[in-house]
Amino acid sequence: MRLFEYEAKEIFRKLGIPVPKGATAGSTDEVSLAVRKVGLPVAIKAQVLVGGRGKAGGIKFAESLEDAVEQAKESMSEPIRGHKVNRVLIEEKLNIKHEYYFGVIIDQLSGAPTIMLSTEGGVDVEIIAGDKPETLVSKRVSPSRGLFRFEAREMCRQLGMYGSLLLKSSDILYLLYGVFSKYDALIGEINPLVVTTQDEIYAVGSVLEIDDNSLFRHSDIGLDLSRRSEDDIKREAVERGLSYVRLDGDIGVIGSGAGLTMATIDLIKDFGGKPANFLETGGGITEQLMERAVELVLKDGRLSALLINLYGGINPMPAAAKGIVKAFERLRPKIPILVKVVGNQQEEAWNILEIAGITVVKEIQTEVAVKKLISMLGE
Amino acid sequence: MCILVDERTRIIVQGITGSIGSTQTKLMLDYGSKIVAGVTPGKGGATVHGVPVYDSVKAAVSEHPADVSMLLVPAPFIKDAAVEAMDSGMKLLVAITEHVPVHDAVYIREQAESLGVRVIGPTTPGIICPGKTKIGIMPASVFMEGNVGIISRSGTLLYEIAGNLTLAGIGQSTCVGIGADPVVRIDMVDILRLFERDEHTKLVAIVGEIGGVQEEEAAQFIGEMKKPVVAYVAGRVAPPGERMGHAGAIILRGRGTAQSKINVLKSAGAKIANRPSDVVSLTKTCI
Repeated sequence: MRLFEYEAKEIFRKLGIPVPKGATAGSTDEVSLAVRKVGLPVAIKAQVLVGGRGKAGGIKFAESLEDAVEQAKESMSEPIRGHKVNRVLIEEKLNIKHEYYFGVIIDQLSGAPTIMLSTEGGVDVEIIAGDKPETLVSKRVSPSRGLFRFEAREMCRQLGMYGSLLLKSSDILYLLYGVFSKYDALIGEINPLVVTTQDEIYAVGSVLEIDDNSLFRHSDIGLDLSRRSEDDIKREAVERGLSYVRLDGDIGVIGSGAGLTMATIDLIKDFGGKPANFLETGGGITEQLMERAVELVLKDGRLSALLINLYGGINPMPAAAKGIVKAFERLRPKIPILVKVVGNQQEEAWNILEIAGITVVKEIQTEVAVKKLISMLGE
Repeated sequence: MCILVDERTRIIVQGITGSIGSTQTKLMLDYGSKIVAGVTPGKGGATVHGVPVYDSVKAAVSEHPADVSMLLVPAPFIKDAAVEAMDSGMKLLVAITEHVPVHDAVYIREQAESLGVRVIGPTTPGIICPGKTKIGIMPASVFMEGNVGIISRSGTLLYEIAGNLTLAGIGQSTCVGIGADPVVRIDMVDILRLFERDEHTKLVAIVGEIGGVQEEEAAQFIGEMKKPVVAYVAGRVAPPGERMGHAGAIILRGRGTAQSKINVLKSAGAKIANRPSDVVSLTKTCI
């Protein structure tokens, strides 16, 4: 789960990383208040959960209050790469002398936390790695040993820092690794880390993505998950413990595993259909979860058909079948629907579905089910 | 024969008394898997389908020497359970559990590396040697004894591919789900190496999906292999930046697309299946 910039900065600030003076605003009145609190001139930063904001015009500057209000209004009326802007972060505008990149990620190749620093801040780390790899200093960290202060200092020294800049920056790096580790982050980034003309240092750009699977031990952050997604169906799916991705087509898809569901949408496209969504239950199917999954997908007004593709491995198929039947009897959908069920207790599940008048595919091959559904649509 | 495990492999199940633990234990026993003991802290002295339960792995293995631990404990407890198993001398762990925090997986991976322990998973269906043993949650009915080795990142897609092969009369030597998380301990290359050495395996099928670098790493080894490799990669329709169910199945900043994986596998010499049924036809032309 990616945090908004202002949420990430609040965490950084609490743990001792210096951030610029700032306040968020969602309306004209709030913008005026924020500007008074922060002081002119200001930077106005659109709060969206997507990268590449600067290039998309998401960062503006203002010298006067009127200008700030005008710019903020404009920001909140223009989506950034398809994402609606509900809030802006108003920050003091700094006099920048130099920008650095400081980041920690979980590297998928080594399977370990990896720190990357560069003297070329303000651009994406991939671009730095591609264009100026010689400016990168990187280090793999042992998760059981953690990062020592001397290691942070050594990395900053290799970056060419010395004197008080070396001490302040290595402190910030040490704290950034602390945030990364404490909050189960997948990405912790300060980009840019700004050195001002007065030689003060601030984390100006902040990215923090927390591992969804670790949220059970971070209830203290107090994040409101409901505002993360603009898509109603997706939001409900997350609340119900389902994985949902909206696609452009008209064939609804529910699958009992990520790989199978991905293969199903690929096949629908292959056979000339268009999937409307990807919905995956994972290994925790119950009668109630299945009923809710079907209900959720049927809410989508674009649907012209629905394909449900289930394997009974860890998931109990009779319970899944009962959940599907319950949703059907309540909602009485008018579109063609196919359910493919294979695996443990398949006969019992087939029986439950067929008694309710639901078309069942009993073949192992998903291709058979997809072809059949597409031909039903053609009739 | 089989890789990693066989019909003599002695298994303990951590989390045996939970509803999934007990159901899956029964299915594995029915298949012929040798489960010698189970572990659930606080439930020592109980039995599950005739299998004795202990309070700790140490207590279980001191009475019943074992080779493999299968973990079915809830995600918040997996780090503790995995380290307990490693500390008690287990050399192979099969971690079925989904939704494991990545930082815990990173820790488990590091410990396993330093102790020389193999961990399959997390988020794996497990491992099956059809007709011999099943250490996992896969439905037995879609598998059949034979000569094709399968490596899969996904559980359900493994069932789909194995099912397609079985239906065509092509059996499998061993099927391994390496796990669908961003950080897993075992790499596709480790398994490819074992299949390359295994006399019984005539062909290897790789079942990949978007995200990560497993397929790219595997491609580097495929060039050195004598055995034919067939590969299927799911997620061609997946939009970038969206997690497709599995935590590791995401195209990040343009990297890890199905097409890029297909390209590297293809140039390494793997035969590419566009649909699950193509795995069957390509396998038939190779063996």
